[in-house]
Amino acid sequence: MFRIALKSILGRKARLVLTSLAVILGTAFLSGTSIFSATLDRTFNNLFQDVFANIDGYVRSTEVVEGDFGLIERQRIPAETVQKVLAVPGVADAVPDIQAFARIVGKDGKPIGAEGAGPPTFGSVAVEFKGALWTIAEGKFPSGPKEVALDESSAEKAGYVVGDTVKVIAQAGSREFTLVGIASYGDVRSPGGATFALFDVPTAAEFLGKPGFVDAILVVGDGTRTDEALANEIDKIFDPSAKVETLTGAEITKETQDDIGEALSFFSIFLSIFSVIALGVGSFVIYNVFSISAAQRQRENALLRALGASRSQITRSMLIESVVVGLFGSIAGFIGGIGISKLLGVALPALGFDLPSGGLVVTQSAVITTIFVGLLVTVLSAILPARRAGKVPPLAAMRATALETTGKGTKQLLIGLGFIAVGIAIVGAVIGGADNNYLGLGIVGVFVGTIVIGPNVARPVALFLGRPAAALRGVTGTMARQNAARNPKRTSRTSSPVLIGVALVTAVSALAASINGQISDIFTEQFKGDYAISVSAQGFGGLSPSLANDIGKIDGVKNATGIGTALAKIDNKGRTLTVISPDTIEGNYDIGLINASYSSLDKDGIFISRSLAERDNLSVGSVITVVLGDAVPRDLTVRALYEHDDLAGNRVISRETFAGTTVSSFDFGIYINLEDGAENTAVRAALQKAVDDYGQGKLLSRDEYIDEQAGQVNQLLGLIYGLLFLSVIIAIVGIIITLLLSVFERQRELGLLRAVGMTRKQVRTTVRWESVITSLLGAVTGIILGIGLGWVIVFALRDQGLSSFQIPIGTTIFIMVMSFFVGLIAAIYPAWRATKVDILSALNTN
Amino acid sequence: MTSPTLTVAASTHGATKIYGKDDSVVYALNDVSVDFYSGQFTAIMGPSGSGKSTLMHCIAGLDELTEGSAIIDGEDLSKMSDKNLTELRREKIGFIFQSFNLVPTLTADENIRLPLLLGNKKGNEEWIQRVIDTVHLQDRLTHRPSELSGGQQQRVAVARALASEPRIILADEPTGNLDSTTGGEILSFMRMAVDQLDQTIVMVTHDPVAAAYADRIVFLADGKVVSEMLEPTAEKVLDRMKSLGN
Ligand SMILES: Nc1ncnc2c1ncn2[C@@H]1O[C@H](COP(=O)(O)OP(=O)(O)OP(=O)(O)O)[C@@H](O)[C@H]1O
Ligand SMILES: [Mg+2]
Repeated sequence: MFRIALKSILGRKARLVLTSLAVILGTAFLSGTSIFSATLDRTFNNLFQDVFANIDGYVRSTEVVEGDFGLIERQRIPAETVQKVLAVPGVADAVPDIQAFARIVGKDGKPIGAEGAGPPTFGSVAVEFKGALWTIAEGKFPSGPKEVALDESSAEKAGYVVGDTVKVIAQAGSREFTLVGIASYGDVRSPGGATFALFDVPTAAEFLGKPGFVDAILVVGDGTRTDEALANEIDKIFDPSAKVETLTGAEITKETQDDIGEALSFFSIFLSIFSVIALGVGSFVIYNVFSISAAQRQRENALLRALGASRSQITRSMLIESVVVGLFGSIAGFIGGIGISKLLGVALPALGFDLPSGGLVVTQSAVITTIFVGLLVTVLSAILPARRAGKVPPLAAMRATALETTGKGTKQLLIGLGFIAVGIAIVGAVIGGADNNYLGLGIVGVFVGTIVIGPNVARPVALFLGRPAAALRGVTGTMARQNAARNPKRTSRTSSPVLIGVALVTAVSALAASINGQISDIFTEQFKGDYAISVSAQGFGGLSPSLANDIGKIDGVKNATGIGTALAKIDNKGRTLTVISPDTIEGNYDIGLINASYSSLDKDGIFISRSLAERDNLSVGSVITVVLGDAVPRDLTVRALYEHDDLAGNRVISRETFAGTTVSSFDFGIYINLEDGAENTAVRAALQKAVDDYGQGKLLSRDEYIDEQAGQVNQLLGLIYGLLFLSVIIAIVGIIITLLLSVFERQRELGLLRAVGMTRKQVRTTVRWESVITSLLGAVTGIILGIGLGWVIVFALRDQGLSSFQIPIGTTIFIMVMSFFVGLIAAIYPAWRATKVDILSALNTN
Repeated sequence: MTSPTLTVAASTHGATKIYGKDDSVVYALNDVSVDFYSGQFTAIMGPSGSGKSTLMHCIAGLDELTEGSAIIDGEDLSKMSDKNLTELRREKIGFIFQSFNLVPTLTADENIRLPLLLGNKKGNEEWIQRVIDTVHLQDRLTHRPSELSGGQQQRVAVARALASEPRIILADEPTGNLDSTTGGEILSFMRMAVDQLDQTIVMVTHDPVAAAYADRIVFLADGKVVSEMLEPTAEKVLDRMKSLGN
């Protein structure tokens, strides 16, 4: 039997290639993303190994304030610590390090680097020093308050050369410097695409953070003792109350590598989600191909059965085939994955993410995982078709046609409807108050059910969708419509990848549209001013608080207020506080204070949301101990409660609370109210000029600002497009394979049609419309399912403040158009193959 | 029937078809010159492998002659492009094969009109109704092939061949798969189409009884025309076959 199986595989190379294609597709994504992640990991590890190579010790504060979303702020240490460290025996040299937010403004007056989503923008220190992280590639190290050095790739991107004047924005405001040097970090021109403006130590301390403080001290030993001994030596000089620690060179290297590794792991997880989807959807294609080929071989198998082969022999022979296909496909997929990872390596720098150089890292485990997973998925997908093949009665050998039909599928329909019913019941229970965690179960139930009843609905839906084709295209359209409906199982399986992809995309877009609508409503209610200056900061950096003051002084402006954030520790938990200026916020921005005025928020006060007050049993007069970035505990008294916690969060403090300390806080928005009767265009010009001079931020009218804020959710679109792209590719390959198999199967029919006068063009039209109908079938069901799924997700997020569900009409239309083209594109090759059918040999085949 | 006013519907001149190369060449047709007349029912007979199907295919423009020419309605097929040949098949030729004549996804009615539908033509509705009536298919029009018996399927095929009023109908063993009663019905229909609807039919058959329905029989052997017979009867045909067999 094994020999027969092998013979039958090799006898049909075309089918082998087609089946493998499905496996290749799924495994290529898997191996591509894992190779890429490994490569990225290794190159960054090497980079930091290189950069920290000469550093023997690293002195820093032990105090860390962690906010929400993994934001952390480490306490700074006094600058004079450097002198103390220098005096420690065994220390050859020590230099402070400062790293904080700074943005380089380009020659066009716009900040370099993508707003918001892009890599971070830093200001730091570059000094001549044995352990220096930065080396000067051109020019000299900056010295004095007027000089700056830039990382190579930022300088190149902005077109700056040594001698140019460069504007930089940081905590202290925006300032102009003379570019004196171009620096590189290890062997890269900029680490991970981040931008760096580099200063000498005093300038960095004053301009980036707080004068007299540094982030850390880089230490180079004199070689008389080990790094560990040196670290102990240094630690000895600090009193435990100083909360300072010394790490060895190896430790700081490892920690930095781990940090980056963690940051990259999000990326890896993201990529692997995609490859899991690819593999999952790919398994549908594999299953489909095996089912079709089992049906096409029905007579052959029946003959074998009639000649004495047992059921299990037939099944086993198909499983052996699946093993061969799985191995072949996974190996080819692995090779394809190398290509994909190379592609990612090219695509990311093109998107502004500069990667360190380094060859691809192909680990043994990646090879084994890919082949194992590919093999497993293939064999699992083949089990059902193989069992079905075994069940073929020997009598079928005598039957004329070998159509892929096993009964009416009533059992399937019932099972599918059962799944859907249970799924809906679970969703209903959650709506009725059950735990959100069950939602996933309900969604899976509905999905599985839909796919199980697919064959039952495929026929009527395909016939319905094919109507326009039949009406427009005459008999070719009619045939396309009937072809799409003639084998509902096949059609529904073929359209499943489209269905899954479309459902995911629709759900995510529905979520995005709902969030968008919600944000728009919130800002409309809470933002009262005439203009706003926005910056997308994503929790790192933003607008200097000095800008709001400058704007407030412009003629015609009644008041301008900045709103920012600060990290804090409360009851040992990291929190993000909203920072406001109580004297200017009135009439600009409304957080819905309950029976109080903003002026009641003093240096020692805090506002909390009503929901927090209820949850924690707090009220006006309660005292909350807040530890800000300077690690100093402050007892703040609740002065008032407020209603709108959707943007302001649960805690609001005044800027005054930390004035004059090392706590850094940036504004994410400045809200501007004009004097009554102020001349609008003139004021706008003046405002624009102020923003331009500053070099960062966008001046927007009230309406523009609301649209922009709501539109930020469109960053979800990146995810949508990724999903869309992936499902489009798999869908196309799936449809191509099925159509090709169908074309092979319908050779005689095609020969007949050609003989009675169907032109090649008409043959193509028929195949093309069949493909379009199949694709649309998946799209329509997918959209329905996706909208349902989106609604459920929005519902699940109701606690996060999402209350209105919106259907993404634009995306839905786009998807329909897109799936139309998917059908067209997928049909190109099969349609061409169909026209190549030789009439005479087709008519002669039995 | 053999009056001198007969017009030629299709003909071949020195038609030669060679398969294979070098030492393994097969002369499927070897210098065949034959005329098929309008309004006549011609049968082609001959032993298996004598080139009957090949001749039909070449007349239909489904296959190319190695040498010589095939002419339909005055047009030389060897000079036509694939597109023109397709059009010719659609408009001037009707086809009936031994089996698998119908498109399974189309109804009987759609199958009958298929050549017209493909050519985006309405056709002569009166004529089509007459054809449908003649083959007794009125109450089967909305059925799909899988719902029709073998004989009904062949009747649909005959109706399709007639529907576009072609210059010539080519039938390759149209009754080969049917029992003698059903085959007889089909042959009567074809006879009727020639007599009453003034059609031209060329039919390949192995069956002397079927051949007896024809006006004229052309005998092929080893790719050559070896004999002809007018106004045949089954006995005459059997006798002739025996003598040719020797
Ligand atoms: N594609 C081909 N390649 C090679 N030889 C062929 C091909 N088609 C036909 N032949 C040969 O040409 C000769 C004539 O074949 P053809 O099919 O015309 O015979 P036929 O008279 O129709 O036979 P039958 O009565 O069995 O249908 C045969 O010897 C056949 O083997
Ligand atoms: Mg033949």
